[in-house]
Amino acid sequence: MFPKIPGKSIVVVVLIGVGLLVIFWWMGKNPADKLSESLPGTDNRVSRTDAVLEEVNIGEYFERFGDAPNTFLESWPRFRGTNFDNISKSPVKLIDGFNGQSPEILWSYELGEGHAGPAIYKGAVYLLDYDEEKRADMLRCFSLADGEERWRRWYGVNVKRNHGMSRTVPAVTEKYILTIGPRAHVMCVERESGDFIWGLDIEKEYMPEIPFWYTGQCPLIDKGKAILATGGKSMLIAVDCATGEILWEVPNEMDWKMSHSSIMPYTFAGQRMYVYSAVGGVMGVAADGPDEGTVLWSSAEWNHQVVAPSPVCLPDGKIFLTAGYGAGSMVLQLGVENSRFTAKILQEYKPKDGLACEQQTPLVFQDHLLAVLPKDAATLRNQLVCVHPDDCTNIIWSSGKTSRFGLGPYMMADGKIFLLSDDGTLTIIRPSTREYLQLDQVKIFDGHDAWAPLAIADGYMVLRDSKRMVCIQIKA
Amino acid sequence: MKKNKRFNRRDFIQSSIRASLVVSVGGIGGLALKNSTGRDWVWQIDPFECNQCGRCATECVRNPSAVKCVHAYDICGYCDLCGGYFIPGAVKLDTGAENQLCPTAALIRKFIEEPYFEYEIDEDLCIGCAKCVKGCTSFGNGSLHLQIRHDLCRNCNECSIARVCPSKAIKRVPSDTPYMIKGSFTKTTDT
Repeated sequence: MFPKIPGKSIVVVVLIGVGLLVIFWWMGKNPADKLSESLPGTDNRVSRTDAVLEEVNIGEYFERFGDAPNTFLESWPRFRGTNFDNISKSPVKLIDGFNGQSPEILWSYELGEGHAGPAIYKGAVYLLDYDEEKRADMLRCFSLADGEERWRRWYGVNVKRNHGMSRTVPAVTEKYILTIGPRAHVMCVERESGDFIWGLDIEKEYMPEIPFWYTGQCPLIDKGKAILATGGKSMLIAVDCATGEILWEVPNEMDWKMSHSSIMPYTFAGQRMYVYSAVGGVMGVAADGPDEGTVLWSSAEWNHQVVAPSPVCLPDGKIFLTAGYGAGSMVLQLGVENSRFTAKILQEYKPKDGLACEQQTPLVFQDHLLAVLPKDAATLRNQLVCVHPDDCTNIIWSSGKTSRFGLGPYMMADGKIFLLSDDGTLTIIRPSTREYLQLDQVKIFDGHDAWAPLAIADGYMVLRDSKRMVCIQIKA
Repeated sequence: MKKNKRFNRRDFIQSSIRASLVVSVGGIGGLALKNSTGRDWVWQIDPFECNQCGRCATECVRNPSAVKCVHAYDICGYCDLCGGYFIPGAVKLDTGAENQLCPTAALIRKFIEEPYFEYEIDEDLCIGCAKCVKGCTSFGNGSLHLQIRHDLCRNCNECSIARVCPSKAIKRVPSDTPYMIKGSFTKTTDT
């Protein structure tokens, strides 16, 4: 006879058994067994270093169309103008408004897709275009008065459409014109004649990583020397404009990369220097004296994948750095300790928390910074704002949610800000440290991605969108 | 001899079947025409109004949401550094999960040729969170955008997403034009 087991005990045993089974099943089950890992390399990308470099004969072709009479004297000779501040010092009085009419377009010219900006020198407009038919970087010289093309010098180079192709502003002096093409081909020509002087294939000679969407660095001529940020084997180099001889090179021991930012000359504590915001960090390189071409200071704390705006160097040693794609901004304070330069971080923040820019470089007005915020700046996105460099997170004023702009350029002339929106709308603003004062606004043309820097000389403004350059007169 | 033309039973059945087939096909065609030309309303997202708040993923009565990301290839830049694919400040531009914005890896990146990459959406994985849309709109051409998929949408009279959409981007649209795909659908300046 088996002992009698109470029914209650059977239920308990069964429940314990079932419970144990459930626990075993639960412990053996992988809740993520239907998920797959996202591992690097599944996009099948080919290394950029596998690309075969093209032989480029810089400055190979030239064509002259004729000389136009010239009565103009003023210049806007490079990116951010004569003093690198994007402020025209011309005494010519400019319009305050448009009287309800769009200004007459004096001339216009179809260009290769891109964002290359013009430089103006005594009645001649210089632009490094990309000719899509000839597949060539093409330096074009136009007459400011009527837009007639005077000459062009070009060389074949294969550039694919990638948010535009051209995107730099030539540097022009009395003797030289210096250009950098999308794939970092540097060309120096004689200004008036367009005669070729020398070329430098940075892509081939220095093996840098060309930035996303091609080179945006605008070249610099300083005291007869071409100052260029190469990346690759070197970081910065100086080239004699007359001969093409390399005068000095800053070795790239940090393995930083070329950015879209341009080199800005700056003087602090009696030392002239070149300030460059690279991908990897920011540095100051001596521009003269016995240490010329050596690094005075650097900081790898400023490290972002895409850096387009140039450093804004203020008289008190503050340097405002900003970049897009969620990077935000940083304010550095330069100092001198034990005869050595130091760079300390004063502020660092995301674009939603203060002044930041994606493409353009801020303006300095009465010790304040003015700029259009990027799209990721939360409620103030795309608004023109004003801050003081002592606290760039304190927005003093903004243009308001009914006055939003895009990625387009802005500059100051005759005490007014001229701001171009992506779609070709030009806004005139009275700069102030207290409030936003919009004077007028008009659509100049049906534009698309009008991002290239503006140029003003002799009361003429030259502006462009991704496909067309136009000239208007804004003399009062 | 004259043929007997009288209708026999076989002919009658055959004719009846033919007639019922014609009526059925005609009826189906008519109903299809009515459905395709009718002015019923369905819900859709205006991509130009959407501010990518992320509520489409959590507020829809369907789980996962009936809202999916769609891609307007004709306005995509095919960039290596894609603001819709990579988190800002990604350590490396590769397909590692730590660099991706999408929480479910629904955005698939493929190398085409230097410098172009193509981005494709796996709708089975997409939860409509709009993280990629926000990145693409902020830093790119805005080719990634959200749409309500009508094969998934219950078309509730009181759309639970529309009730909370902060930018009022979810609108009733005619059922014969149920999608607002960027590129082909362009916002007019007067709206």
